[in-house]
Amino acid sequence: MAFTLELDRVTKTFDDFVAVDNLSFNIPEGEIFGLLGPNGAGKTTSIRMMIGITMPDSGEVRAFGQPLTRRLLDRVGYLPEERGLYKKMKIMENLVFLARLKGISTAEATRRASHWLERLDLARWGGSKVEELSKGMQQKVQFIAAIIHDPGFMILDEPFSGLDPASSVVLKDVLLDLKKQGKTILFSTHRMDTVERLCDSICLVNHGRSVLHGVLRDIKAGYGRSSVQLEYEGELPLLADRSLVASSNDFGNFVELRLAEGASSQQLLEAAMRTARIRRFEMVEPSLEEIFIDTVSGTTKAVPSHA
Amino acid sequence: MRNILLIVQREYLVRVRTKAFLLFTVLMPLFVGGVFIIPTRLAMKSSGVKHVVIVSADADLAKTVSNELAHSHAADIEGPRAAGAAPLKAEFVVSVETAPSETLRQELIARVRAGSIDAVAWIDPDAVNLRKGTYYSRNGGDYIESALFSRALRVSISQRELTAHGFTSKDAKTLLGPVDIDTVHIDKNSANRSNGLGAAILPFLLLFAIYMTVLIYGINVMRSVIEEKSSRVIEVLLGSVTPMQLMAGKIIGVGAVGLTQIAIWIGTGCVLGTGGFAMARQLLGDSLKDAHVPTVALVLFPVFFILGYATYACLYAAIGAMCNSDEEAQQLQFPVTLPLVFCMIFATSIMRDPNTSLAFWLSIFPLTAPIIMFVRVTVNMPPAWQILLAITANLATLYGLVWLTSRIYRVGILMYGKRPTLPEIIKWIRYA
Repeated sequence: MAFTLELDRVTKTFDDFVAVDNLSFNIPEGEIFGLLGPNGAGKTTSIRMMIGITMPDSGEVRAFGQPLTRRLLDRVGYLPEERGLYKKMKIMENLVFLARLKGISTAEATRRASHWLERLDLARWGGSKVEELSKGMQQKVQFIAAIIHDPGFMILDEPFSGLDPASSVVLKDVLLDLKKQGKTILFSTHRMDTVERLCDSICLVNHGRSVLHGVLRDIKAGYGRSSVQLEYEGELPLLADRSLVASSNDFGNFVELRLAEGASSQQLLEAAMRTARIRRFEMVEPSLEEIFIDTVSGTTKAVPSHA
Repeated sequence: MRNILLIVQREYLVRVRTKAFLLFTVLMPLFVGGVFIIPTRLAMKSSGVKHVVIVSADADLAKTVSNELAHSHAADIEGPRAAGAAPLKAEFVVSVETAPSETLRQELIARVRAGSIDAVAWIDPDAVNLRKGTYYSRNGGDYIESALFSRALRVSISQRELTAHGFTSKDAKTLLGPVDIDTVHIDKNSANRSNGLGAAILPFLLLFAIYMTVLIYGINVMRSVIEEKSSRVIEVLLGSVTPMQLMAGKIIGVGAVGLTQIAIWIGTGCVLGTGGFAMARQLLGDSLKDAHVPTVALVLFPVFFILGYATYACLYAAIGAMCNSDEEAQQLQFPVTLPLVFCMIFATSIMRDPNTSLAFWLSIFPLTAPIIMFVRVTVNMPPAWQILLAITANLATLYGLVWLTSRIYRVGILMYGKRPTLPEIIKWIRYA
C-alpha cells in the first residue's frame, strides 16, 4: 500500500517538554485519516512537522514516498484551526495571493477561486473584506485557501468548526468528492461523530504518543459488541454498580455503557427494568467517543503527567 | 525569489491602496510646512502694531527717533537682512510729547498699564551725552522692541553728531544705513551664496523626511508581523514560504512604499517647480533663493534612507515577532525608537556645529549614522573616508542584524502566549 504521509519515530522537544514522543503512523493514499487526541496531546506540533514549519529533533517525516522538502509542500494543503487570512484584504485577493504562493498563475487562481466560492455558496462575497464575513463564512474561505492549489494531501484542523448544519453538509460532500478523486485527507478534530462517519483510519495521540492506531473498523471490532445503548425513562441506580457496569456515559434519558467483566446483558436488562421504563435496548460496538474517553483516561493514569 | 516578490507585491499594494497612505502623502508636507514655516514667520513678525509715545524735550531729536522707529521692523535686528526682501510694514504708531514732567511720566505709565498705549520711550534731556533712554512696556520680555528703540536712539544721536561735524544730513543717513551681510557657505569645490535660514531649511526637510519615513515604515513592518501572527496567517504562509523569505519580502515591500512616498514628494516638488518655489519664497522672504544642498547629498539621500530603514525595519520585525499585540509592542519598541529620537535631538546642534567629536562618533555609530552622517553631508561635507566608514560599518551591522533578527523572527512568529524574557530570546538565537 502506498502512503501519502509517514511519520517515523518522530520526536520534538521544547526545552524540557516533550511535545511529540517517538510518534509513528502512516496515512494510506486516498484515505480520510483522523488524528485525534485531547488538548495538548501534540496534534498541532505533529501537523507543523508535516508542513515543514518545525523540524523534528529526531525521526523522519516522509511525504509522497520522499523525505519532506519545501518543494513537496506545494502538494500539501493546510487548514489551520484558527482563521489564517488577511482581515483587511478582499476574499478574492486573499485566495489568489495564497494560491500564487503555491505556484498557481493569477488567471488560473482567479478561475479556481470563483469556482470554489460558487460551490460553497460564497459567490457574491468575493469582493468583500474577510473581516466583513461571519465566522462560518471565513471558515469556508479558509477551506478554499487550503485546497485551491489542488493538493494531493490536505491537512484539515477542525474543518467543521463554526459551520451551520447546511454548510457542514456541503463541506462533507466536497470532502467525499475529493476522496473520490484520490486525494488523501488528514482530519484533526475533537468531534468524534464526524470522524466516525468519515474516517477510514485513525491515530489517537496522548502526551505525544500514539495510544491507538489503525483502521477504524478493526479498532471498533476489537472492542466487540460489549457496549449497550439504552433509552429509558426513570432512574438507573445500577450505573454505579461496578459488578454490572464498567463505565457509562449517561445523558439522562439515553445511556451508553460497557458491561463489567463477567456480567451479562440479560442481568443488566433485568436490573434496569426494575427501576426504569426501557424504550430501547441494543448491543452495539462501542462509539469512538467511548473508546476515546476510555483510552485517554486509561493512559492518563498510566503515564506520569508532564509539568 | 518568486515568493519574495509575491510578498513584496502584496505588502506594497495593500499599503499604497489605503486612505492612510494618501492622507500621509498629502498631510506630511503640510505638517512639515506648518512646523517649520509658521514659527519662522511668527518669529519675524511681532504681535501687531504698537502704539508708542516718545517723550523728549528736544523736539528735533524726538522727530528723528520717531521717524527711525516708525520705519524699522523686527527683521532689522535679526542679524543680516536678506537682500532685496520687501520691508515689512511699520510696526509702530508713534506719537511725540515734548514737555516732559514727572506728572506726565506717571500719567503715561498709567496709560501703559491700562493698555491704551503699548509703551513709552523716555529720552532724558542729557540723553545725547549719556547715550541713555528708558523704555516702559508691559511686555518686559520683548527684547526686540527695546532693541529697536535703542537702535533708533543711537542712529538719531549719531546723525545729529555727524551733522554737527559738518556732514550733510544725506551723507549722515547713508553712513548710518543698514548693512547687508551675505552668508557664504564654503565647501571644498565651490563657494555658494546662501543665507542662514535657507541653508538650514532644505537639509532639515530632507532630514525630517528620513526620520519620519524610517520611523513610520519601521513600525509598519512591526505591525505587519504582529498582524500575521495574531491572525494566524503566518501558519498558512509558512506552508509556502520560509521565514527568511517572509521577513525579506515584508521589509522590502514596506520600504518600497516609503520610497514611493518620498518620490511623490520630490516629484511633486519638481513638477510644481517654480510655482511651489515662488510660494515658498513669498512665505519665507527671499531666504529660499539661496537654499543649497550639495549634489552629493542628494545622491546619498536614498543610500542613507535605505540603510537607516533596513536597520530599523530588522529591529522592528524582531520586536513584532516577540509580541502578540500592538499594546505589548508599544512598550518593547521604545528602546529601538530611542536612538532615532536621539538623532533628532542632536541633529540641530550638529547642523550648527558639524565638526565636534560627538558629531563624528554619532555619524559612524550604525544606529545613528544614517541620519547624523546625512546631516553632516548636507551642512559641511565630511572627508570621503568618513562617509565610506559610516556606510561600511552600517552594512556590516545590517548583515549581523539580519542574521540575528531572522533567528528571533523564525522562532518568535510561532510563539503565542506570554512575551519571552531576555534569556529565552538568547536561547532562540542559539537554537534556531
